[in-house]
Amino acid sequence: MLIELSGVSKIYNQGRANEVRALTDIDLGVEQGSMVCLKGPSGSGKSTLLAIIGCIFPPTSGKAAIAERQLARLPDRFLTLHRRETIGFIFQRFNVLPELTVLENITLPLLPLGVAPKERKLRAQELLERFSISHRAQFPAGQISGGELQRVAIARALINNQPIILADEPTAHLDTTLSREFMEIMQQLKATGKTIVIASHDPLVFEHPAIDRTVTIKDGRIHVP
Amino acid sequence: MAQTNLEKQINILDYALSSLWRRRMKSLNVLLVFAAVIFLLASFQMVTQALSDKAKQVLVYTPEITVQKMSAGRQEAIPLAYRDKLARIFGIRRVVPRIWGYYFDEVLLANYTVMGMDVEEMPEGSRLDTTLASGRMPTPDEQGRVVIGHSVKKALDLEGRTTFSFFRPDLSLKAFTVSGEFSRDTDILTNDLIVMNLADARDLYAIPAGMVTDLCVYVANPKEIDTIARKISEALPSVRVLTRPQIQKTYQVVFGWRSGFGSICLLSALAAFVILAWDKASGLSPEERREIAILKVLGWETSDILAVRFWESVIVSGLACILGITAAYIHVVYFAASLFRPVLMGWSVLRPDLHLLPRMAAGDILLILAFTVIPYLAATVIPAWRSATVPADSALGG
Ligand SMILES: Nc1ncnc2c1ncn2[C@@H]1O[C@H](COP(=O)(O)OP(=O)(O)O)[C@@H](O)[C@H]1O
Ligand SMILES: [Mg+2]
Repeated sequence: MLIELSGVSKIYNQGRANEVRALTDIDLGVEQGSMVCLKGPSGSGKSTLLAIIGCIFPPTSGKAAIAERQLARLPDRFLTLHRRETIGFIFQRFNVLPELTVLENITLPLLPLGVAPKERKLRAQELLERFSISHRAQFPAGQISGGELQRVAIARALINNQPIILADEPTAHLDTTLSREFMEIMQQLKATGKTIVIASHDPLVFEHPAIDRTVTIKDGRIHVP
Repeated sequence: MAQTNLEKQINILDYALSSLWRRRMKSLNVLLVFAAVIFLLASFQMVTQALSDKAKQVLVYTPEITVQKMSAGRQEAIPLAYRDKLARIFGIRRVVPRIWGYYFDEVLLANYTVMGMDVEEMPEGSRLDTTLASGRMPTPDEQGRVVIGHSVKKALDLEGRTTFSFFRPDLSLKAFTVSGEFSRDTDILTNDLIVMNLADARDLYAIPAGMVTDLCVYVANPKEIDTIARKISEALPSVRVLTRPQIQKTYQVVFGWRSGFGSICLLSALAAFVILAWDKASGLSPEERREIAILKVLGWETSDILAVRFWESVIVSGLACILGITAAYIHVVYFAASLFRPVLMGWSVLRPDLHLLPRMAAGDILLILAFTVIPYLAATVIPAWRSATVPADSALGG
């Protein structure tokens, strides 16, 4: 299992007046090369679960092992180091920096890794070609179309050749065509051996044939119908 | 590993440069204000430094005690015979007579300072030759030989000729030959100066034989200056006795007040700048918070983000320093510190036509940096540190 959660709970602001219990007792295993969809209404805890899988913070209690590392034992700094080797993130609205060029956006994860500019460009160009956006390399990311933007976001998640891709409601702001295109690309990535977890309540996502398993979350718990 | 780390720092520096460029209007504003503060500080530092250097030079050539005759509260000629009376006072090394006056050139509307003295008589008279750019000092028996300062030469517009004439009080002409020029290093003292021997000065001003304008007294032991000055006033009726420490004090009072006033103005400018820097930096915009959260999710460490802010500040303050200090140098050298003229009025009374040679010691530069760059770095990096604790998950979809 590439992702293995057992008894995971997350409480925000624990012990304070604004304490929120976001996840309770989650058991989840995701095998390498599979594609899983986390489904559930808004506020159910999908993003929180992705954040734990994505090594952004450890669970409040329970065990989370991502690519054979126990998160609970890792201090913040090592979470970051582990994250950038392991996880590629695709955000809702894709979260590019609009004033940076497409090329600069895609290579952002490589800067703190000490990858030299030449090598960065080489790696980016490969991805740009793969997603047919080479002609946009020097454009400010704020000035490209929605479809191009989504491919930029995907390219950025792949730039360090991370084994796990996480996407948080990637189709929420896309039309049907682009949503289908997104899932097609995910399918291709799965075929190359990537492990993919998508949080979404969009039927175009969870009903997609490439999805191996759909996990429904309600009020922070896995819902078994 | 070390290689990667270096490459990483270069990448971060590169990112800092490009993010300064992205926010170029804001960066430029901060840069200009910053450069202006450094400009003011550096100009002021250069001027005060140059002036106190000049004051020291002036004092080196000032006789330890100057004796002048007063009548009805005004200075008049002093008899050379007083020399003998002075000679009886114990502790006096030498008394050198001098004729010191001004000459107003009605044709050119220029004012010159004329000094008549016999250089050989001065204890360190031979040293004066080293202040010359060319030629030599006139001797007591050469007639009509003068050494002139830079602006005198310019005003007379000699252009290759070495002779010129001045009017005596009875409007007859007296001819002079230039036998030397002072070097520009001594401009503060010699700019408007014409040095000739005692006999020529007496002739030019029609001062009767046996009379001079003042007597320069050199003492054997500098510690006794005050005692000897008191003895001189007791021994000679109706004379004014000026001592070097007195003159020094006058310079210091005028100068100290001016620089104190200036410092207060500068400190308030500095305070305003620090407040501005703080204000600019602490109010992180939502865009900046978003950028930080995205970078963190993409694997940037808090220290990497801090390094970006740090480099941005270093670049801005480095540029501001270069700009400010260069502008200050130009201001002081080529525009004679014209912005500070009102503050420095006291000096133009002491020394008209001031020519400043600014000097900037490494210590001064460090001081200026300590007062500007460090507050600025603190004001920009500390708030960035607070925002670097922005949780990364805020970049995820809600
Ligand atoms: N940073 C946070 N601080 C406090 N509460 C949070 C935070 N993030 C999410 N929550 C809360 O945790 C719960 C789950 O949120 P989230 O994981 O974002 O759900 P979803 O992504 O399914 O909409 C919600 O009640 C939400 O208000
Ligand atoms: Mg969410």
